Amino acid sequence: MKWMHNNFLHGIFLHSKLWHRGLWLVGLLLANATKAEVPTFTLEIRDHLFFPSTLVIPAATKVKLIVKNTDPTPEEFESYELNREKVIMGGAKAIIFIGPLPPGDYPFFGEFNPKTAQGMIRVEQ
Amino acid sequence: MVDAVLLILREVLEAALILSLLLALSNKLQLRYHWSLIALACGFLGSWLVAHNAYAISDAFDGIGQELLNSALLLVAIISIIALSLMLLPLAFANFQPHNNSSQRATTLTHHYWLVYCLLVTTVSCSITREGSEIWIYLSSFLPSPETFYSAVIGGVIGAGIGVSLGAITYYLLAFMTEKIFLPTFITVITLVIGGLSMQIAKLLMQIGWFESNAPLWDTSFIINEHSWLGELLYAVIGYDAKPTATQGIFYLLAVTPIAVGALCHKWRLRIKNHA
Repeated sequence: MKWMHNNFLHGIFLHSKLWHRGLWLVGLLLANATKAEVPTFTLEIRDHLFFPSTLVIPAATKVKLIVKNTDPTPEEFESYELNREKVIMGGAKAIIFIGPLPPGDYPFFGEFNPKTAQGMIRVEQ
Repeated sequence: MVDAVLLILREVLEAALILSLLLALSNKLQLRYHWSLIALACGFLGSWLVAHNAYAISDAFDGIGQELLNSALLLVAIISIIALSLMLLPLAFANFQPHNNSSQRATTLTHHYWLVYCLLVTTVSCSITREGSEIWIYLSSFLPSPETFYSAVIGGVIGAGIGVSLGAITYYLLAFMTEKIFLPTFITVITLVIGGLSMQIAKLLMQIGWFESNAPLWDTSFIINEHSWLGELLYAVIGYDAKPTATQGIFYLLAVTPIAVGALCHKWRLRIKNHA
């Protein structure tokens, strides 16, 4: 039985094409993620508000977002629609990659000051 | 104050649920509870250290230190839970054997008690460090204004109280289960929990551009919205994401596969034994 058990595991881990395909897919995702320079856009947090409150970015493009927090207090950039969440300390800046995204509006907010710190990423063709 | 209640509740909920699950396990395995105090102390200290060094951590590795640290904490918790679950699987399946000997089962983990305690402490410490550091940073933002600070602290205490209460309910729900159904239920729930944690790692690595942020596999916002209380609860328990990407899916599968394969192997061996 032990022999059968070992053979079973051997079959799964060594001879499975699924395993190789998974590795290939992970490699492809990594390679695509790091291969090219991406356009950069900047957002600023000032007095618990985002400037600009609406940022227009191109569709189907990976974008580097630099968020500068000019307030002395920390803030958390958060967006359910963009699936992003990052704490930005007071006077510091943060880099957040977003996209590629289809056209549309993607709201974001500052979780530490949700009533005032609100904004939108507008993705256009 | 309401903002503080919601924010602290979100941060506390995940750690409280993991702690409750592991305390219920301690109860069923008749382990001592002192590990939880050590884990709380480690998590408290760890979270304070992370918050205290937040600037240095954020700037590290060209501005991706925060994501890398959180990913590492999540990974350590996931590996600890996988190791713990693989150790528990023989016990879970022993309950279904026809000539089950309880003393034999009780001795199965005896030789590994220290390892079990270490895994429990590591899992909870990592969870509290990650979630707690954000609470410290959040509260520090109110320090310049004492009035708003006290309001945020009161809101935080209420949020933490709700989170701990939900954790206590989870503990008693699990603690009242019979031994036969407890371990399979525990392993199933904890597997879903690490699946959720692994999706958080994927999200962090996509955020720093290491992995492709591809189109969502599906969108279940119309069934359960992530903004809703149910969405928030499911996010804390199983890492619910209304629009998961393929990268998150791969991470989820990688996390749950060791336990799923382990369970299948045990089931297969049990079937062979019962037919022999």
